[in-house]
Amino acid sequence: MPINRDALWYKDAVIYQVHVRTFCDSNGDGIGDFQGLEQKLDYVRELGANAIWLMPFFPSPLRDDGYDIADYHSVHPSYGTLDDFRKLLASAHDRGIRIIIELVANHTSDQHPWFQESRSSRDNPRRDWYVWSDTDNPYDGARIIFLDTEKSNWAWDPISKAFYWHRFFSHQPDLNYDNPAVREQMWEVMKYWLEMGVDGFRLDAVPYLVEREGTNCENLPETHAVLKELRRKMDESFPGRMLLAEANQWPADLRPYFGDSDEFHMAFHFPLMPRMFMGLKLEDRKPITEILQQTPQIPPTCQWSLFLRNHDELTLEMVTDLERDYMYDTYAESKTMRLNLGIRRRLAPLLSNDRRRIELMNGMLMSLPGTPIIYYGDEIGMGDNINLGDRNGVRTPMQWNGGVNAGFSAAPQERLYAPLIQDPVYGYPAVNVLSQKASEHSLLNWMKSIISVRASTAVFGRGSIEFLYPANHRILAYVRRLDKEAVLVVNNLSSSAQAVELDLRGYKGSIPIEMFGRNMFPRVGELPYLLTLGAYQFYWFRLRRI
Amino acid sequence: MNLAEESFLTDDFLRQLINVGEVDILVGLPTRNNAKTIGSIVSTIQSGLLRGFPRERAVIINVDAGSRDGTPELVTGISIDDMRPGSNLNALRTLHSITTDCDQNAEHGIAFRTILAAAELLRAKACVLMSPESANVKPEWLAAFLVPIYRDGFDLVTPTYCRQKFDGLLMTNLLYPMTRAVYGAKLREPYATEFGFSGRLATQFLAQNRWEDGAGAELRLTLAAIAGKYRICQSYLGEKIHRERSAADLVPVLRETVGALFSALEPDFAVWSAVSGSDAVSTNEAEHEECQGSLRVNRKRLREMFTNGVNELESVFQSILVPNTLAELQRIARLGEEDFEYPAELWVKTVYEFAASYRKSVINRDHIIQAMAPLFRGRAFTFITENRNASGTDLETNLENLCLEFERLKPYLQQMWSV
Repeated sequence: MPINRDALWYKDAVIYQVHVRTFCDSNGDGIGDFQGLEQKLDYVRELGANAIWLMPFFPSPLRDDGYDIADYHSVHPSYGTLDDFRKLLASAHDRGIRIIIELVANHTSDQHPWFQESRSSRDNPRRDWYVWSDTDNPYDGARIIFLDTEKSNWAWDPISKAFYWHRFFSHQPDLNYDNPAVREQMWEVMKYWLEMGVDGFRLDAVPYLVEREGTNCENLPETHAVLKELRRKMDESFPGRMLLAEANQWPADLRPYFGDSDEFHMAFHFPLMPRMFMGLKLEDRKPITEILQQTPQIPPTCQWSLFLRNHDELTLEMVTDLERDYMYDTYAESKTMRLNLGIRRRLAPLLSNDRRRIELMNGMLMSLPGTPIIYYGDEIGMGDNINLGDRNGVRTPMQWNGGVNAGFSAAPQERLYAPLIQDPVYGYPAVNVLSQKASEHSLLNWMKSIISVRASTAVFGRGSIEFLYPANHRILAYVRRLDKEAVLVVNNLSSSAQAVELDLRGYKGSIPIEMFGRNMFPRVGELPYLLTLGAYQFYWFRLRRI
Repeated sequence: MNLAEESFLTDDFLRQLINVGEVDILVGLPTRNNAKTIGSIVSTIQSGLLRGFPRERAVIINVDAGSRDGTPELVTGISIDDMRPGSNLNALRTLHSITTDCDQNAEHGIAFRTILAAAELLRAKACVLMSPESANVKPEWLAAFLVPIYRDGFDLVTPTYCRQKFDGLLMTNLLYPMTRAVYGAKLREPYATEFGFSGRLATQFLAQNRWEDGAGAELRLTLAAIAGKYRICQSYLGEKIHRERSAADLVPVLRETVGALFSALEPDFAVWSAVSGSDAVSTNEAEHEECQGSLRVNRKRLREMFTNGVNELESVFQSILVPNTLAELQRIARLGEEDFEYPAELWVKTVYEFAASYRKSVINRDHIIQAMAPLFRGRAFTFITENRNASGTDLETNLENLCLEFERLKPYLQQMWSV
């Protein structure tokens, strides 16, 4: 399959998020690697994903799963070599799959040579590459993000006898973007990987690049200026590449990250995700329609990035206290499931392994405006292990089959980087790729089907959205439109069968064709269009004018 | 077999109910030309729901009896978003407000029946009926009514108020003491314009109540709850401020209250005839307290209406009352203002004789109820006179004595009942 050469390729993409370490171990050392991932590219292609987002694979002490980078120009030896990565890149491109990598630009590991130099003396040329202070008073308007582990955004460095600034873990000192040399160096890092052929970057923690006194040190104009500069340079030298922003912010605060099509191509829509879970539990579309109403228009070349779950906790930062309490009580009854301001669980356990709800949530993921991201393993309904610390419970080895080590590795089980999921419901003997491939009605095959239906039209990736507001609030209905094409999506958020009357007068004369079975439904007329939906059922109708 | 049956619910209302779906909490709001007050009442209800029950599925159901002042539109037009500025109120889910019409010529019971039917169809767990006329409704009232039902398993929550002196004379001189004596429950406001009830009670009452006689259905629900041994409690709401009523309002009120009480006695005979004494009903917060101030009452007019009534309705009273009672009333009617006294014992006997005559339908039942009006006014005159200088505590003591008189003479009711 040739690679999509369209400059707006990211709008039509279905992205598969994976950590090299977790996917497939080719050399039997218990840790996934590039060669293993390369061997599984056909699986990704068959699923229907056409882009892979690789989590950090750089040299790192791995105290934050690779988000603590110690060298931006190499790969962690556990995952292979740079040549292995190049080979993976080429193989992916051969299959029409683009590769998006991480750029953790906000901070480095405290083991990074830059920081080692910076802390070595106050006169070191790289001293000013990080943010230092003699007291821990500056920037006290900035919140602490990792509330469960950090008490301050400043940490004392006994070597240089000063405090350094860190928005995340204390072993992740923030780079000083007021220093032009840092900005130039980060561009050099990007250029290095772009020249190698990567298709885009997911920029981690972008709101926090610059600090200013008297502010909360988030989303500052100076930060946007840094990002715009990187984008300009990338566009000049590497057109067609993509930048994806990780900015866990309210929609209005996210909008500036798109700029005038001159900053990010894509940004995660963080506030939407918890509200999808909330709407499902409440059996009420209100949380979803409300946040999407608050979502500003973005430039035509830009795109939201949507997800249900990822490698982090289900973040509840962008919800009200009332909503957070509700989410905790309904999705994380055990306190061990909670981390920071979020819930550290995978999709299937969150939804009580209810296939109907898993399908409905994926149905919304695939049909709301944006580019969907599937977290590895969620396509087969993998479970989690809340007994593992931090967010490691959702980062366990991919379950390929019911055999030794789930087919992930030939290493002795005790050498695996993390224990396999082994419980009776989600354990690899019960939940694995091989068995689901063999079962026509498995979740995996259903996922392939829905991705394929999504790919049959550009309307989901590029079309506008018009919400219908039927009186039945348990129904979330919208029409996606692109040029003359229109797709009606009707979701029943309720655990019981529902009747709904839709005002489709604007589409009078159209014949709704259900997109999965391709069956015709009665023609749309003047009267309200009556539909009945089973519990958690959803429909996608192509509205054909014939 | 044809099971087709006329429904009192319109198709449009049914469609609205389908769209609302199952709820946890239902607030019923019967209205008729309440545009002046309804806006603030609906806002208060919404605020009460959001504060006390932000996670619950809730609906406000307005049943309007032909308003011509835009009342229904006001009910459905008020959004929680209007309240947000300056408040911390957030709604997790859709808060529904729907409205339907009922026949403006029908008795008030049809509105309540519609609300009960909605409660059953929507499988509401806890319901509250709110008055469209309460001038001082507070958001806390919602919790006061709903929490005991939704969280503590009660089936009926009636209010207690802090009333001004001489407010609610019909309640203090008849409805409360007679209900207490007959049914054995010390329920201070057996007939309330706002109260809470469980979906379970609503369903049971909807099926069993005789809806052809719809007046006073709210009181009959209370009596059915007591008779059916449902869990009942009272919640203190504070001060009660309501629209002032004219003298002409008394007969319709008697019809809805005393008429409903009398008509309930017949089917409930087996229950109440076995009751002696009375039991306390658990009350949340203050038991009872008297507000500052006293309601202005035209005492002279009360006595005049009593005297005129006794004279003009002699033939009617001859059918209803035993000769001794009538003779005593006629004697009182001849007394001057200073000497006038309608004693408690005579009043209780009068009421019980009316109840027995009502059962036997000695004359048209509506005429029996109408004939009570002048006698109640005479009793009210005496009650006011006796308690003119009474403190709040004294007033309570006197009221308790009246209740005990109703209880003491209950055998007289049973005797009259079986004659």
